[in-house]
Amino acid sequence: MTVTTTLNHQAGKRRNWAQYVFLAPTAIVLTLVVAAPLLYSVYLSFQTYIITYGMGDFAGFGNYQSVLADDFGSVSWVTLKLTFLCVTIEFFVAFGLALLLNQPHLPGRQFYLIILLTPILMTPVAIALMFRLMFNPSLGIVNWLIGGLGIPPQGWFGDPHLALGTVVFVDVWTETSMMLLMLYAGLKSMPMEPVEAARIDGANRFHILRYVVWPLMRPVIMVTLLIRMIAALKSYDLIYMLTQGGPGKETETISFYAYRLGFRFLDIGQAAAVSFILLIVVIALTLFLLRVMREN
Amino acid sequence: MIGESRWVQWASHLILGTASALVLLPLLWVLRTSFVDKVVAYRMPPDLFFTPTLDNYRAILLEFDFGTFFLNSLIIALVTTVIALVIGSLAAYAIDRFRTGGPVVPVAILATQMMPPIVLVIPFFLIFKRVGLADTHAGLIITYLTFNLPYVVWLMMSFFKRVPRELDEAALIDGAGFFGVFWHIILPAALPGIGAAGVLSFVLCWNEFLFALMLSGQETKTLPVAISSLVTQQGTAIGAVCASTVLAIAPMVIIYFAIRKLLVAGLSLGAVKG
Repeated sequence: MTVTTTLNHQAGKRRNWAQYVFLAPTAIVLTLVVAAPLLYSVYLSFQTYIITYGMGDFAGFGNYQSVLADDFGSVSWVTLKLTFLCVTIEFFVAFGLALLLNQPHLPGRQFYLIILLTPILMTPVAIALMFRLMFNPSLGIVNWLIGGLGIPPQGWFGDPHLALGTVVFVDVWTETSMMLLMLYAGLKSMPMEPVEAARIDGANRFHILRYVVWPLMRPVIMVTLLIRMIAALKSYDLIYMLTQGGPGKETETISFYAYRLGFRFLDIGQAAAVSFILLIVVIALTLFLLRVMREN
Repeated sequence: MIGESRWVQWASHLILGTASALVLLPLLWVLRTSFVDKVVAYRMPPDLFFTPTLDNYRAILLEFDFGTFFLNSLIIALVTTVIALVIGSLAAYAIDRFRTGGPVVPVAILATQMMPPIVLVIPFFLIFKRVGLADTHAGLIITYLTFNLPYVVWLMMSFFKRVPRELDEAALIDGAGFFGVFWHIILPAALPGIGAAGVLSFVLCWNEFLFALMLSGQETKTLPVAISSLVTQQGTAIGAVCASTVLAIAPMVIIYFAIRKLLVAGLSLGAVKG
C-alpha cells in the first residue's frame, strides 16, 4: 500500500512538469505564428499605413471610422445574405437527404452516400473553375441546356441579379456534402428506442420527425449549423475565383473587401481594421458554439 | 400501408437519384471536356461522340509546369502535416489527460482554428517580406500551421478521450513513465485517429488558397494558385483548364475513396462531439 502511494506520488510529480513539456511546442508555435501576427495586425489597424507611402502616423480609430463610413455596410450585408442563404439551403438539403438515407430499408444506400459525399475533400478553387466554365455565357453548357427548355441565355456570374444566386449554387454544391456527413452521422448515433416507441404508439412520419427526431438531433444540428456558419462568414476562395466581388459590389464579402483594401489599394491599416472586425464576429460565434457543445 | 411505403420508397429514390446526378454530372462533364480537342471544346451543342485526345494533359504537364506546382503542394502539405501531428498529439494528450493550462486552452485552440485567414495574411505578408520568408516553402509551412495545428490538436483530443483512462493508470502503476504511457499505450490505441487526423490535415493544406495566393511566388506556387491563374486564359484553353481541374481534384477523390470509413469517424467525432 505504502509502496503504491509513493509510486503514485512520484509519478504524479513527474506528470506535473512533463505535461507542460508536452504542451510547450504547440503553445510556443501558436504564440509565434498566431498570437504575434495577430497583435501586429491589431497594431496596424490603428496606423495610417499605405504600402507605397510607408508607415504613417498613429490613426486612432480613423481606419475603423473610414471603413464603417465607406463600404463596410454593403459588404456586411452581402456576407450576411450569402451566409444565410448558403447555410439555410445546405442545411435543409443535407438534413432531407440524411433522413432519406437513414430509412431502415433502403436499397442502394451505400451507392447514394458515396456519390453524395464525393465533393467533401475537393479543392474549392478547382470546383470554382469547373463551374466558371459551365456557367460561361457563350461557351458554357448551362446556357445551352436551359436553351433546350426555351429559356434565353443568362449572364450568370456577370448578371447583377443572378451573380449572388449562382455563387450560392456553387457553394451549396460544394459544402452540402460536409453537412450531410455530420447530420447523417448524428442520425446514425441517435438512440432508436424513442423512435420505435413512437411508431408503436401510432405516430406518423411527420410526428416522429417533429416530436422525436428533431429534439434528439437538436444539439448535433446546432453544432453543425454554427461550424458551417463560421466557415461561410470567412469564405473567400469561391468569391475570388467566381466573381472577384462583382458585378459592381454585388458579391463582395467582408473577407474579399479586406483583401481588396490591403492588396489592391495597398491600404494595410484599413484592411487590418476590416479583418479585425470580422475576427471579433467569428470569435463571438465560436464562444457561442463552445457553450452549445458544453451543454451537451 | 404497403402502398404508402412503396410510394415513399419510390420518392426517396427519385430525390436521392436527382441529387446524385447533380453531383456527378458536372464532374463527368469536366472529365469529358478534358479529353476533347480545341475545336470540339468550343462547339455548342456539344458533340457526344469524339475522338479522345491527351493533348490537354500533355499541354499542362509540359508547357504549364504542372508537375512543379503539384510537387510544391505535396511538400508543403506533407511537412506541415508531420509537424502538426507530432507536436499536436503531444499537446492533445496533455490537455485531454491533465487539463494542462486550464479551461482556457481548449477555447483558445478552437478559436484559433476558426480564425479567418484574411486576419493573418496581412501581417504575414509584411513580416515575410522583411525577414525573407516570402516565396519560400518554409514560409507557407509556417502559415499553414496556424490552421492545421489547432485542427490536429482538436481532433486528437477527441480521439484520446475515447482511450480508457484505466489503461494509463495501469501502466503507471506498472512503473511506466509519463512518456512511456503516451508512447506505448495512448498512441497505439489512437492510431486510426492519428491516421484520420493526418489525412484530414493534409487535405486542408492541399486545398488552402488565400495564404498561398499572397505569400507564394513563381517558385513556390501551390496547385490551387497555379490553376486559379488559368482563369484569365480560359477563353483560349477550355481543355487545359478542364485537364488541370481533373488533375487537381483526382488526388482528393482517391483519398476520399481510400479513407471513407476513417472520414466518417474523424469528422463526425472530431467536429460534433468535440
